[in-house]
Amino acid sequence: MATVTAPAPMPATPRTRKVRGARRGAFGILFAPVTLLILLFLIPLLVMVQMSIVKFPPNTSSGYTLQHYVDVLTNDLNVHIAWTTMFIGTTAMVIMLAIAIPLAYYMVFKAGKLELFILLSLVLADELAPVVKIYAWQVILGRNGIINFFIPGPPVEWLLYSRFAVIVTLSTTYITYTTIPIYAAMKAIDPVVFESAVDLGAGWWPQTKKILIPLAAPGIFIAMILVYIPMLTDFVTSDIVGGAGSYMMGQRVRDLILQTGDWGSGSALNFIMLALSGVFSLVAFRLARLNRIDT
Amino acid sequence: MSAVGDRAGEIVVESCTKRFGSVTAVDDVTLTIPGGEFFSMLGPSGCGKTTTLRMIAGFETPDAGRILLQGGDVTFVPPPKRNVNMVFQAYGLFPHMTVAENIAFGPKIKKVDRSEIATRVADVVRTVQLDGMEDRRPAQLSGGQQQRVALARALVNRPAALLLDEPLGALDLKLRKEMQLELKDLQQRTGTTFVYVTHDQEEAMTMSDRIAVMNHGVVEQLATPRELYQRPASTFVAGFIGVSNLITMRVDRRESGLLTMDLGDGQRILAIDGGGTDAAPTITVRPEWIKLASDHTSERSSLVGGTVVDVVYLGSVTQMIVELATGERLTVHRLNDQVGAVEPRPGDRTTLHWAAEHSFVIGGSETIEVDASDRLTVASPDRGREG
Repeated sequence: MATVTAPAPMPATPRTRKVRGARRGAFGILFAPVTLLILLFLIPLLVMVQMSIVKFPPNTSSGYTLQHYVDVLTNDLNVHIAWTTMFIGTTAMVIMLAIAIPLAYYMVFKAGKLELFILLSLVLADELAPVVKIYAWQVILGRNGIINFFIPGPPVEWLLYSRFAVIVTLSTTYITYTTIPIYAAMKAIDPVVFESAVDLGAGWWPQTKKILIPLAAPGIFIAMILVYIPMLTDFVTSDIVGGAGSYMMGQRVRDLILQTGDWGSGSALNFIMLALSGVFSLVAFRLARLNRIDT
Repeated sequence: MSAVGDRAGEIVVESCTKRFGSVTAVDDVTLTIPGGEFFSMLGPSGCGKTTTLRMIAGFETPDAGRILLQGGDVTFVPPPKRNVNMVFQAYGLFPHMTVAENIAFGPKIKKVDRSEIATRVADVVRTVQLDGMEDRRPAQLSGGQQQRVALARALVNRPAALLLDEPLGALDLKLRKEMQLELKDLQQRTGTTFVYVTHDQEEAMTMSDRIAVMNHGVVEQLATPRELYQRPASTFVAGFIGVSNLITMRVDRRESGLLTMDLGDGQRILAIDGGGTDAAPTITVRPEWIKLASDHTSERSSLVGGTVVDVVYLGSVTQMIVELATGERLTVHRLNDQVGAVEPRPGDRTTLHWAAEHSFVIGGSETIEVDASDRLTVASPDRGREG
């Protein structure tokens, strides 16, 4: 805390002055971001909590209720949407890990001069506006799109406006955030461990299972925190490339609030998702910490 | 693989050549290492010693030549299928596994019986004195302990030979000296062939049964430590193993097995006549053989006058640089075995003498280049103070 020593120009009682100066300095530095965080994050959050427990229509005498939560949790449609969202999110996550782990391995241990190029490509791909990327997938997957152009016979319909389209699009949207933490974790691995594993008789699979994955685990869990939660709350992707079968939780909340005007259910649902995300993050973070290797 | 028999632990490197691009790292090297030997490859960085070791381990494939292990050709056998194990300079311990898990890794991969693994791990833990450390992670161990884990992890596989690539390089000097003796002891107790790569001549001398001194991808000399020191085959070896004075001689006379260079005024330099016909051969004499002052000289002694130009107290010996009338400088070591002995000072005139048997002609005109990081003593007497 008070390890930062700020210069104290008047050393009347040098010790206490220094410490106090340091505290004031730390507070000064943190004042602006903390205030912004309170204004922009905490206040809307509190408004949402308020909305989720107030009786409708909200006025000075309407009182509080937990009915919105009961409604949301007992609605079969919500449960169905939750499963769809989980299915899409988890499938996309698995696909991204299946790409990111070998890609990060290649970047760290095999790419040589290409490493920086791949890293920059990943970052640049992420810089592109998400909506543009999603529309690009429309062009690729559509009825008259690039893929159907090369497939003989009648156009394949399920490529676009489907779960498939949403999964593919999400997987490409978040690949940067999946790859980079894993890449960072692998960067810390001394390549000689693979050579010694080979020397002790390990083929590629034991090397992957017993050496690579355990050592990259902290990065994998961090990637999951970074990617899984935004995917579960995403509504733009499914809006643009999704169909009836890919209606997701993000869309549901948005529609409840903006289209139905049901602030109570929308807020309650949103708060439940926030709480679940929090639990998920904590678990993943604990796992990442448990797997961290002090070297 | 063919029958092992009396070739247990034997390694043969047969005319192996390895190129990396335009660089020939190993140039037609042939070595025969009998089972149970402590064999070292010694040389400066880039001399091909590590590449040779990696070819034995299977991490490199020779461009020409063969590698034979216990009589069987393993030239193209991948490392996991060779019955040798390597100890890396950087250890390569698995940081997420305990000591016991690290050691059990090899046998587990090879699907050795569970109870058998437990016995073997316990055995080898005792052998390398890691008792009580089984459940620690590598990061919780000292450098020396990590080194032992690396050794145990290799030895538990009961390899035909253990290949060690500068395994003590990361340790501090004192620990390194302790580990040298431990390694030698371990090698003798297990009877395993050790092939040891180092650039530290003292380390190689301490442990090895035989040493191959390598330079520019070729073996300059393969001999016991004693032979290497007393009869270096080339100027390179003379310079690499210990401190050596190299003198270019002018042969004035050849008689009774001695070469003589007359310097006038009764002074002369003598060397054993090796039978060569070179009129200006390079001869060598170790600094400790050269004595100051002219008492008990004989007809069969070199005798030269010179001026002390530098005196360095090194503890057990005092090193002096003496410049001869010819301009050549000799390094002289005088044993500090007398309290209060008078030390010569720079500028003093002195007379040096040494028995003719300690000078002999050596081949090879190459001088050794040494970078400071290699901690080597240097052939050229011009380098006064070391380090």
